[in-house]
Amino acid sequence: MINIAVSSQKGGVGKTTVSINLAHAFARAGVRTLLVDADPQGSVGLSLTRQSRLLAGFYDFLKDPSTPLERLIVPTRLETFALVASGQASDYEASGGIGAHLSRVRDFLHGVAGRGYDLCILDTAAGLFGVTGDVVSSSDAIMILQQAEPLGIRSVPKLLEGLNRMRVMNPRLSILGVCLTMVQHDLIESTEAAAALRQLLPPEMVFQTQIPRNSLFVRASARGLPIGAMEEGAAVQAVFDRLRVEIEDKLQPGDARRVQPV
Amino acid sequence: MELIDPWLDSVEVRRLAELLMKPSRHPAAVLSEAGFEAGFLGYTTGPAVAVESQTVTPAAVQEKVTQAADSASAAEKVTQADPEPLPSTARGSFLDIIHHFRDWMREHFSAKEMFILDRQGEVIFDESHHGRLHFLARSLALAPRRAGSFAGYVHIKIRAGATLEVIPVETPNGYLILGAVVPVALSPAAMSAVMEAMILVAGAQTAPRAPDQAV
Repeated sequence: MINIAVSSQKGGVGKTTVSINLAHAFARAGVRTLLVDADPQGSVGLSLTRQSRLLAGFYDFLKDPSTPLERLIVPTRLETFALVASGQASDYEASGGIGAHLSRVRDFLHGVAGRGYDLCILDTAAGLFGVTGDVVSSSDAIMILQQAEPLGIRSVPKLLEGLNRMRVMNPRLSILGVCLTMVQHDLIESTEAAAALRQLLPPEMVFQTQIPRNSLFVRASARGLPIGAMEEGAAVQAVFDRLRVEIEDKLQPGDARRVQPV
Repeated sequence: MELIDPWLDSVEVRRLAELLMKPSRHPAAVLSEAGFEAGFLGYTTGPAVAVESQTVTPAAVQEKVTQAADSASAAEKVTQADPEPLPSTARGSFLDIIHHFRDWMREHFSAKEMFILDRQGEVIFDESHHGRLHFLARSLALAPRRAGSFAGYVHIKIRAGATLEVIPVETPNGYLILGAVVPVALSPAAMSAVMEAMILVAGAQTAPRAPDQAV
């Protein structure tokens, strides 16, 4: 199994939207995929399940590692796609202070790996500290989302410093790259920001695929569905399929952890 | 690039980014190989505390220390959130002053296993005798960052009830990395006090060497 953390320096850049739809894209391609909501806000659960307020989840495991994983994993109508909600103990980190959860995060991922998943995508809270730091320190790879707007681009140096520090803690961490989100082709500031980021960073560090701002995301969220499950979602789903292919290409071909369809 | 050039150093950003895309330069820092194994619980990072030699000079710290001494008769219980500054009464060799600082750290923060490294990671002072802690502190404090930017402190929870604080400090006499194991991670206010104390220590005038100590 390979673990990919989906992270960002700033909040509100579309991590949950990308995590859900990317996980769905992998699952549709036959990859046994588990989507884990590691954001205490619990947005994945709120987006996909009406019972999310009742579900035990990731933070419940951090609070009590004896919690059986079977209690946490929620199957979906797609056989290859399951999710773990944030859970009821989502305020655990806020009250617990220091990010002291590394061993429990690793226990969680080890347990998940033993249940036959090919891929685990972890939707994290913004920033690279606390539980998010522990998740990134336990992951094989990280994908960073960056909103295509000037303020977001200016936060890139801080992001890079954080990632360099993460690599001290987790030298095997593979930087898949930065994916531009909320790109608005009808807004010059947005397209210029996207172009500036591509000019700023090495080409291999920026995904070719970029995620557009699209009202379909709001409608999909309202219906509790991934965009690929929407009747009119084919065009946007194709964006996530391209992103999936890019990620597969970035994983080394000879790597035993390479995501493989069932 | 007009959109971002005034806001950031694109050459520096590029350098940091290219470093990230190369294989890690820290293969030996794999946690399972760093001596912590199951005892290593996790870590968290904090923002850089705005203490720089340009803004907080030893003289300014000295003034604070004097003010604190004036009000010391109240003998209030020192809490981590409001730590008492390092008294400036220590005189003698640099080692004496470091020992004074160590005692202050022990008294106020129950600090143990303290060590101080220089910019090259060389040990200046050490009572931890734990090379792996040095390695981790050095790796974190010297992780690539923007030129001229200030490294923030890092809390590393190394086992239950023990957090290694890695505190980089730019002092008038150079960049120092303080490591100390404390039972509870220090608050930002405590961090600020420790950094001010380190600046004071590094800038302290040592007593002239006694004739019989002269080489």
